[in-house]
Amino acid sequence: MQKTLYINSNGRLRRKENTLYFETETEKRAVDIENIEQIHIFGEVDLNTRALNYISQYGIVLHFYNYYGFYAGSFMPRKKNVSGDVVVRQALHYLDRDKRMFLAYCFVESAVYHMMRNLRERKEAEAFLNAIEDEWENGRFNISSIPELMGLEGRVRNIYYSSFNQFLPEDFYMERREKRPPTNPINALISFGNSLIYSTILTEIYHTQLDPSISFLHEPGEKRFSLSLDISEIFKPLIVDSVIFKLLNNRQITLEHFDEDLNYCYLNQEGRKIFIKELQNKLETTVRHRQLNRNVSYKGYIRLECYKLIKHFIGDSVYSPLKAWW
Amino acid sequence: MFVIVTYDVNEKRVNKVRKILKKYFTWVQNSVFEGEITYGKLEKCKRELFSVIEKDEDSVYFYEMEYKIVCNKKVLGQEKNYDSIIL
Repeated sequence: MQKTLYINSNGRLRRKENTLYFETETEKRAVDIENIEQIHIFGEVDLNTRALNYISQYGIVLHFYNYYGFYAGSFMPRKKNVSGDVVVRQALHYLDRDKRMFLAYCFVESAVYHMMRNLRERKEAEAFLNAIEDEWENGRFNISSIPELMGLEGRVRNIYYSSFNQFLPEDFYMERREKRPPTNPINALISFGNSLIYSTILTEIYHTQLDPSISFLHEPGEKRFSLSLDISEIFKPLIVDSVIFKLLNNRQITLEHFDEDLNYCYLNQEGRKIFIKELQNKLETTVRHRQLNRNVSYKGYIRLECYKLIKHFIGDSVYSPLKAWW
Repeated sequence: MFVIVTYDVNEKRVNKVRKILKKYFTWVQNSVFEGEITYGKLEKCKRELFSVIEKDEDSVYFYEMEYKIVCNKKVLGQEKNYDSIIL
């Protein structure tokens, strides 16, 4: 499998001897460029066009994050997989109200399914599970527009997040979900995890023919690659949340892994390292695929989700969102 | 698949071989590289090497394993951890 590289320290990426080097003041390391798919950069890194040109030859996507670990942007090399046909059809699915509703509903349905899946194993959260089920079962048939659907999804998500207090350590009490900026540790964790998953999905979309800016659940043209927000609905509860539960309940991440400033809170370097490592483990975990009859990693399932969308757009087979069966 | 590569090459060409291997594998020791790689890329790598080495003088060994778990690596003394994905 193609590797993901995370750069947490400060240094310089340089092209030398026809490969990529990462140099810090103390050490120098060659990167096996043939095996790299994406690089996440958290530290202060210098790089020049020579390096960028070389990186783009291999189709490697660079994601940049600022000092606090918030997504800043990506460098995406010239796309090698372009298909105007798929893009046009993708846009047609956006323009047709019913077709768009169908896809948006699929994403939310899968998201709710995975949220409930996360809670199902926990005794403490049974009441919340029932509440979600009520809300969802009552609401899902009365939706006539995208904002209503998003409202329903928001209500379900609120119940879901409020259940966290039942089974996470007391230090990580969450009053409510807060973004931009997160003000307490648990919100910081969720935000950090989500921004990592957004860019991972963006990398996967990049390698397919899809256009990342035409989305269905989220309104496109929000100056963002909103298709990756759509797809992330499916994978946020499945990947990020389960990693957070594991890290907190095993006391691998504690309050000392956070820096608190005046109005916000963020993971420090050490905490980020632990989180990234666990997330990477999760992404590389494989599950046997029932139709393909081979083992597919979580990251592979993201790519397959993109392929399913393409098949849906070109009228090959109707899209059915991933629902973890394991 | 997981591959260990060792090479014994005339000094004149040792740097050329090293530079090629560096793109595909992680360096572990002098004249030793290892790493996970796909069949296609391995073939590409061998092709590149073949154009550089002198057939009757140099040798490059590939120890190829289907899976990484098959290789039971034990280290005495210094372990240089060069393959971490977090820098």
